[in-house]
Amino acid sequence: MTDAPHTMSRRQLIRHSAWFGAAVGLAVAGGEVISHVAGTADAARVQSRPALRFAQISDSHIGFSGKANPDVVGSFSRAIDRINNLGYAPDFVIHTGDLTHLATPDQFDQVKQMMTGLRTPHVFTVPGEHDSVDDAGQKYRSAFGAGTRGDGWYSLDIAGVHVIALVNTLNLKKLGHLGVEQLDFLAKDVAPLPSDTPIIVFSHIPLFAMYPNWGWGTDDATEALSHLRRFSSVTCLNGHVHQVFSKTEGNVTFYSGTTTAYPLPHPGDGPAPKPVTLPAGKLHDALGIREVSYTRGQNALALKERTLQ
Amino acid sequence: MTFAGVATRIGIAVTLAVSGISHAYLYIHGYQHIPMIGTSFIVQASVSFALAALVLLGGPAWLRWAAAMLAGGSLVAFALSRTVGLFGFSEQGWQPSPHAVVSVVAEVLTVGLWAAYLVGHRFGQPDTRYA
Repeated sequence: MTDAPHTMSRRQLIRHSAWFGAAVGLAVAGGEVISHVAGTADAARVQSRPALRFAQISDSHIGFSGKANPDVVGSFSRAIDRINNLGYAPDFVIHTGDLTHLATPDQFDQVKQMMTGLRTPHVFTVPGEHDSVDDAGQKYRSAFGAGTRGDGWYSLDIAGVHVIALVNTLNLKKLGHLGVEQLDFLAKDVAPLPSDTPIIVFSHIPLFAMYPNWGWGTDDATEALSHLRRFSSVTCLNGHVHQVFSKTEGNVTFYSGTTTAYPLPHPGDGPAPKPVTLPAGKLHDALGIREVSYTRGQNALALKERTLQ
Repeated sequence: MTFAGVATRIGIAVTLAVSGISHAYLYIHGYQHIPMIGTSFIVQASVSFALAALVLLGGPAWLRWAAAMLAGGSLVAFALSRTVGLFGFSEQGWQPSPHAVVSVVAEVLTVGLWAAYLVGHRFGQPDTRYA
């Protein structure tokens, strides 16, 4: 330590400015190089278009009325327009549950009618707990259950990808629950598949413990995931939590999607997950849809979050 | 500058570069698609490379401070991503392997070497360059 205060001469200032300029210049150049390498790698992957492109939409809560969003129908229409204007027709659209708010026949009819406006060959759904409030999902299955098995679960193969839609909103206690019958279905469903088959799993409630205190998890997900661990690429997409969140556990990546209706608080932010009322003009920044694409040879799916703004 | 000082400077540059390489690799191999995290990774990697080069060339002390802050910040981000999440992103344990452990070890070493360099200068020769 010296007692003399540091003072900087003009020469020192120029020298430090040069070092700073070099740092900024090198950082920008380095960023450009990395970005170029990533772009080249991406370009090599996508010589043609991705093998599979789809959109996720979730938690439309048709029938909800409250300050958090007085016009959920308008927001859902906006989400449908967003998907129809992606610049390509997605191979399918998945709605990951809570299509309706109170599972009335009118609400199911309305959401089904609205989704006929989606420009895509296929619309798939899984039920949320709001879609089965009083009848263990019977009205949901009447509207959307064609071709499903058990209480509404199913699987399909598209573009070399195995897609599994699970129902974890029936027999709820606190957490989501799949049940023995569905776990048995899952085990048999994936048994014949080679381990390099990309797997995509849809469910309403997260299959990972996002925040169990609020029921944001599935009590028997560990067993379900044990059947999927041998696959090199497993992507689980869910709704329910009304916010974007992701988590990786080994070869399994979980992505929670946002909502088209109203935001919920971040995990643990407050006593309970009640609808959050945002300042005027901010709502559509918190709502959105998700684009997902899969390119052959890649383990990770590419996701793009789109707001409704 | 003493031999120990030069060796520490080289150590800071190498560990920074290792952390940058890990982040760049992960960015190229998928992380670029994760909102906010992708951008953070490319910034971390490019700034790491720039600082590593300039520290190696014998730049002023504030470059080593910047290197230590970058490494420390990366460690904090790593801890957040394993606990409460970071920009809605969360991972578990030492995944992705081996990049998580490689970058954490490199960043701890960067901070440790910077601290050693600082202590060495406090009790050794005063740095005549403006710090």
